[in-house]
Amino acid sequence: MINSLFLYSIACILFLIGLFGVLTRKNVIKILVSLSIMETAVNLFLIIVGYIKNGKAPILTRWDPHINIHTLNFVDPLPQALVLTAIVIGLGTTALALTIAIKLYEHYGTLDITKMGDKK
Amino acid sequence: MKNTNFVTGSFIALTLVVILGIFFFQALNQPAHEGKTMPVDNVHLEDRVSLHYVLKNVNEASQYLESHGKSYFNERDEVPSKTIEFGKSKNLEEGSANEVTSIVVNYRGFDTLGEVTVLFISIIGLTLLMRGINNKKIREPSLILKTGTTFLSPLIVLFGIYVFVHGHLTPGGGFPGGAIIASGILLLIIGLESFQFNSVLSKSIESLAGLAFVGIALAGLFVKKSFLANFMPTGTVGYLYSAGMVALIYIVVGLKVGAELASGIAKLKEGGKND
Repeated sequence: MINSLFLYSIACILFLIGLFGVLTRKNVIKILVSLSIMETAVNLFLIIVGYIKNGKAPILTRWDPHINIHTLNFVDPLPQALVLTAIVIGLGTTALALTIAIKLYEHYGTLDITKMGDKK
Repeated sequence: MKNTNFVTGSFIALTLVVILGIFFFQALNQPAHEGKTMPVDNVHLEDRVSLHYVLKNVNEASQYLESHGKSYFNERDEVPSKTIEFGKSKNLEEGSANEVTSIVVNYRGFDTLGEVTVLFISIIGLTLLMRGINNKKIREPSLILKTGTTFLSPLIVLFGIYVFVHGHLTPGGGFPGGAIIASGILLLIIGLESFQFNSVLSKSIESLAGLAFVGIALAGLFVKKSFLANFMPTGTVGYLYSAGMVALIYIVVGLKVGAELASGIAKLKEGGKND
């Protein structure tokens, strides 16, 4: 049985895992992976806000041709549309951050943040 | 010494995470307040604004409420709504069968314009930062990869085109379609050594597609006196030639995102030595 509270808990736990990774990892790439996990958790949370029990994907199909206010059986499409935006922006920031990681590796010769700054 | 510091740091981080987790779960399990519980499992679409996006009567509903002097929050049940029939309903306010697409491109089209701009700026930043970095050669592709690339990459690009052309009917749209096209080009870049990425062509496609997006938006401004208004006939729900401007914008967005991501991938592989 799936209820929303369970799904919200999964999103929160995923966010906390990502936060722990950001706080404790030393490798830049691993920090970026943790940031991506946090981002996924937030996206999941927003999607769950639109969850409606026994709802279907919000697409009109020929198998369910008559849609009106009484036969409506869709999940909320608005959070999905917002998350689409968030995913694309997350992709852009991840690409930029990975480029900065490449630059850091070229400059310091390492990806370990505790060893950066030794070389003048 | 450094190891102990790391252990202490991890312990502090774990404590912080646990405290934050307690806050989260306390907020989730909030008791009922003034007879109202948190709307988790008893949500209905009729209680939400998305109802009008799904039933495609946003303008009708706002006109009705305005002309009768009613407020949305108390009297929204009285707003008239029609039945939408797949394959039969014609000339609705918004003609796409995929509701998410209708929100992303039609009702919140300005948001999408900003989103495309953000992606464009991030790829510009990537290009600028990659300047002066010459990447080393990657390993020579194996026979399996070479053969698979020549067979698969045209199919992947074709599938990407299918996804963004049918964005108003099926799951998908401009952004996933563009990402699929870029993945096909990634396969070409790593799989075929003779493949030369044409950055001039990709930049031209990207710029022209961006201009076309703004051009469609401005056409809406001139025809219907509103930026990004749907100025074309919306057709019958469920047909390929429907939804008017939505299909055009998703084709343009798909081309733009595909060219942009492909040029980003090529920059990450080749370095910024060409510019």
